[in-house]
Amino acid sequence: MNANPTGAVLLLDGRLDDEPTAALAHEALIDGLAAGGWAIDDWRLRDDKIAWCAGCFKCWTQTPGVCAHNDDGRAFAERWVRSDLVVFLTPVTFGGYSSELKKALDHVIPILLPFMQKRRGETRHPQRYESRRDLLVVGTVPAGRGDSAEAQTFKRLVQRNTLNMQPPRWTVGVLEEGAGEREVRVAVNELLAEVGLSGERIANGAGREKVVA
Amino acid sequence: MKAPKRALLIVGSPKPGASTSESLGAYLLDELEKRGVKPQALHVAKAVRTDASVAELRAAVAAADLVVFSFPLYVDSLPAPAIRVLELIAADHAAGVGADGAGERAFVTICQSGFPEVDHSEVAMEICRNFARAAGFEWAGGLILPAGGMLGGQPLAKMKGMMRTAVKALDLSAEALAAGQPVPDEAIQLMAKPPIPKFGYRFMANWGWRSQFKKRGQAESLKVQPYA
Repeated sequence: MNANPTGAVLLLDGRLDDEPTAALAHEALIDGLAAGGWAIDDWRLRDDKIAWCAGCFKCWTQTPGVCAHNDDGRAFAERWVRSDLVVFLTPVTFGGYSSELKKALDHVIPILLPFMQKRRGETRHPQRYESRRDLLVVGTVPAGRGDSAEAQTFKRLVQRNTLNMQPPRWTVGVLEEGAGEREVRVAVNELLAEVGLSGERIANGAGREKVVA
Repeated sequence: MKAPKRALLIVGSPKPGASTSESLGAYLLDELEKRGVKPQALHVAKAVRTDASVAELRAAVAAADLVVFSFPLYVDSLPAPAIRVLELIAADHAAGVGADGAGERAFVTICQSGFPEVDHSEVAMEICRNFARAAGFEWAGGLILPAGGMLGGQPLAKMKGMMRTAVKALDLSAEALAAGQPVPDEAIQLMAKPPIPKFGYRFMANWGWRSQFKKRGQAESLKVQPYA
């Protein structure tokens, strides 16, 4: 049971290096979430010991709901389930997530059920838990690449994720490297507002996008 | 695109044993070898394990003029170690490592997922295409196999009847790639056909999961919520 009045946030920091704009975004996320009263669980993934998901499906068949490999991947899944908001911070990597973010994200399999059901015209796995969490995704791209093919692919990827994760509210923003501190803070605070800090709601499935140059 | 002399299969599945991604990639590699292309293969999870294995990956990529990247769909995208391999290759390209062959090497992908619709895999294919551009490869096409659970890691040659459209797609692809042509549209369309009707696939998959649990006498534990 989360005792925090606002909620619990799982912040998944998938940075590969210390690129300054992403570092500013991380700071802005921490500050904005703290100001909003969120209990922050900040995962700097490059320092976390999470094995690659081996696709063994033991988390479906032998240890239902729990990864068979005993490392931080188990804690990740547990924190995911207990969170009210999940935040991804990642360099946009060919239009996808960094390998560091993805090594954690691949461990969401135990929170799904193995069954297949058709929903809105596509086959999906049902959720193991009834609870849902909002999703906020921040990606960084090189300067001048805010409208690139990679940035567009990135937004489509987040949208695909939301079809499976079913967040009540979600948003995605792309920050260009080289953006100043003020610009980054404004953009991050707007994204945070969109997933609830201001109480403003986004229509389920509609999502929003932001690019800051 | 030039006719390749050396093809490198990168198996993007992190599974330690046989995988459907390896089965599909190995079939294409065999067909390329029959057409005079020298094959090599490695697995992503092993390739990123040590400095020595990363060096081996770099050397293999530098030596290949065709890279076949075969991977399973993980959470709408590529598995983490497969992304790691792409990050390493792209970083090398950006740093000018192996620049001698840049622009004369091609990249072809095979993505298989457990879902019976190809839509799930289209963003992953976009990611691969973006990678090819970023890392100095010529894009030679992408094949998406839906309902990959039907193959279940078995050698494709053993499953020819049920997987005949996938076999035909890979045969056509090998023919084109060996001649220095991209994967033809016909092959992409053939590969995209689920081996059985979608409702039948879902029924069989659900029946399979339930029967596994019944055999163990664990039917009630299937939907447990350990973190509730």
